[in-house]
Amino acid sequence: MTQRYYEDVNIGDETEPLERVPTTDMAIDFFGRDNPTNPAFSDIDAGKRLGVGGALVPGLLKLSWLTQYVSDWAGPAAAVRNLRAAYRRPDVADRPLTMAGHVVDKRIEDGRPIIELEVVTLADGQPSTRANVQVELPTRG
Amino acid sequence: MSVPEQSLITDEHRAQVGKKSDPATVVINEEDARRMRDVLGDTDPRYADGTGIAPPYVVAGMGGGPRRGMPQVLPGGLLTQQEWKFTRPFRIGEELQAVSQVYDIRDRLGGRYGYSVLVTQGTDYYDANGEHVASAMITITQFDPKSQRKGDE
Repeated sequence: MTQRYYEDVNIGDETEPLERVPTTDMAIDFFGRDNPTNPAFSDIDAGKRLGVGGALVPGLLKLSWLTQYVSDWAGPAAAVRNLRAAYRRPDVADRPLTMAGHVVDKRIEDGRPIIELEVVTLADGQPSTRANVQVELPTRG
Repeated sequence: MSVPEQSLITDEHRAQVGKKSDPATVVINEEDARRMRDVLGDTDPRYADGTGIAPPYVVAGMGGGPRRGMPQVLPGGLLTQQEWKFTRPFRIGEELQAVSQVYDIRDRLGGRYGYSVLVTQGTDYYDANGEHVASAMITITQFDPKSQRKGDE
């Protein structure tokens, strides 16, 4: 895991795309098999009744992946402070999702060096989740 | 269900906006943190066993979260927006107090279901000293599955 520093990051910098394949087992295991979850996360027919065409990928799983994605990009001395996501289209289990993103802003906020990224999950090349993530990076000073 | 002639949001629903829940106690559990890390394939050494720190996304599995006590106007629901804020890292084993409230409830006309209701609710998590640790906010689009447009199934 490489450490990024505030001074070295520029608006427009892109993150390396990363593919994940969400499964129904992941959806259930993520929340714990003993915990109640939306039946559509594991039941294809329940997902179809919601109109999503198969088992639904939990939004919380996608947002967690995006948190990890940005955290890994930023490095071990960074801290994710805020994520704001819009779920634009439901995703279906067993179909690959690609995470990608780019830096949209950098600023000092309340004395903290903040980098803001726009990140997405892409399904068949189309954004299904779009999120703005603010991460606090260390400075070289 | 077709588009109703008037809002299905009642005064009783609206009265819940801004009303804070009683605090619920949640514990940052090591087993939950490990299970979630394993599912995501997260090998970040900051959150490894023995560090005493849980990854931020454990907020996704916390009880007492934003869906607690959410007004239910229509039977179906999809998560459409979400926000997480982290003031500091979660510590394994710590007890937090979760306080939730409804921020907004509104009708929406159009889209896949013709008529839907958007409910925004959030939860703030505080530590034993009353200091803010994190917050989670969600917007659920509630709908009647029977009213889905043909061709969207």
